[in-house]
Amino acid sequence: MRTLLVWLAGGLALVGSSQVALARGWNMPVGVTDLSGEIYSLHMIIFWICVVIGVVVFGVMFYSLFRYRHSQGAKAANFHENTTVEIIWTTVPLLILVGMAVPATATLQKIYDPSDAELDVMITGQQWRWRYEYLGEDVAFNSNLATPRAQIRGEEERGEHYLLEVDEPLVLPINRKVRFLFTSDDVLHAWWVPELAVKQDTVPGFVTENWVQINEPGIYRGQCAELCGVDHGFMPVVVHAVEEDEFDAWLVERQEMAAEEAMGVDRDWEMDELMERGEGVYGSICASCHQPEGQGAPPAFPALAGNEELIAGIEWHKDVVINGVSGTAMPAFRTTLNPVELAAVITYTRNAWGNDTGDAVQPAEIAERLAQ
Amino acid sequence: MWGVIKSVLAAFLGVQRDQQRREDFERGSPLAFIVTGIVMGVLLVAIIALVAFLAAG
Ligand code: HEC
Ligand SMILES: [Cu+2]
Repeated sequence: MRTLLVWLAGGLALVGSSQVALARGWNMPVGVTDLSGEIYSLHMIIFWICVVIGVVVFGVMFYSLFRYRHSQGAKAANFHENTTVEIIWTTVPLLILVGMAVPATATLQKIYDPSDAELDVMITGQQWRWRYEYLGEDVAFNSNLATPRAQIRGEEERGEHYLLEVDEPLVLPINRKVRFLFTSDDVLHAWWVPELAVKQDTVPGFVTENWVQINEPGIYRGQCAELCGVDHGFMPVVVHAVEEDEFDAWLVERQEMAAEEAMGVDRDWEMDELMERGEGVYGSICASCHQPEGQGAPPAFPALAGNEELIAGIEWHKDVVINGVSGTAMPAFRTTLNPVELAAVITYTRNAWGNDTGDAVQPAEIAERLAQ
Repeated sequence: MWGVIKSVLAAFLGVQRDQQRREDFERGSPLAFIVTGIVMGVLLVAIIALVAFLAAG
């Protein structure tokens, strides 16, 4: 009776502690997709199998150590082998492993089946942001860290979503199967959102697949999970899951914006417009290396403010921003930024912080250059 | 022959009776064990591949 009570209390304590671990966020989350729930259950089943094995093995060990101790006159048994016991302790783990492999394989098969998706999103890792392209929908954008640098440097109080907030989240519809196509422009990154149970490496030169079908609207946050350089910690993932009609409206709005942007390439832009647009692009894309005031961080990142070479060489300046400098950390921006953004950021860097060249670079000219 | 197969199976599992081991070493030539081992190894891989193939549907 007494032992039964002890076992019961022990069991309750274990189950209770696992619930606490879940609530506190120490355990992996159940998540918001059918698959994430399945993965969570698998994790828990295997966890409990391990707990039972641990309790039995260490229980027998400690019991034997205590019960057959030397001071109580225990004598060591001297025998060479016991084939029966050996076969049992070899086959039992084998059966346990097979027993775990069966449900695990069934889930893996579902994970690797992105067929019948209603929406394709290309996810590209870049140092240090994510780029999202809704394939066939003419919608694409970069998703940059939105946490102010002052918070990172400790000059300001940290916000609620410190380092887990972006300027443009990935917007997805609930209840639809969405296929992800992953790749990278530079080094290995990994797109990881625990609530969606997706953690996928992005590999330069390769395209890998995964998919989600989200059940609940909400904001789901994640991070890059593959060490990718100095700003590895500054490229979070934010997914905005919305109702289907809300998503359709959002997509149409983004398509209209893209169409407007495309028209903007052909017209002449005023200096003020370019400067305003360029300041925004500079802040989200360039400032992490060349610093907010263009002062750079020599010798790693050259200053752009008061940079003689830049002021003198407009064509070289355009070429560096469009094509990057191979073999250095300066990336090519020809695919990341559109012609308007390129023209704006070049104009901005030629005129901000006392560079005052007076040059206004027109989007049409950049578009022509890109087409060559 | 059956003895050889049994010994190879025991080697797959990693458990062998000491007495059987002694008898095996009295045969002189290891050739039978090597050939049986290779054949059964290929067979094992084929069976696993078949199971995976069936499971993948
Ligand atoms: C990942 C860090 C990084 C980012 C982001 C970055 N740059 Fe650079 N940039 C560099 C490095 C490093 C060099 C120096 C390359 C070299 O050694 O020639 C450089 C050089 C330059 C130069 C030439 C200056 C010189 O003296 O060599 C210009 C102009 C420039 N970057 C503009 C930009 C603009 C505009 C952006 C944003 C659209 C940007 N950079 C974003 C790292 C970066
Ligand atoms: Cu990364």
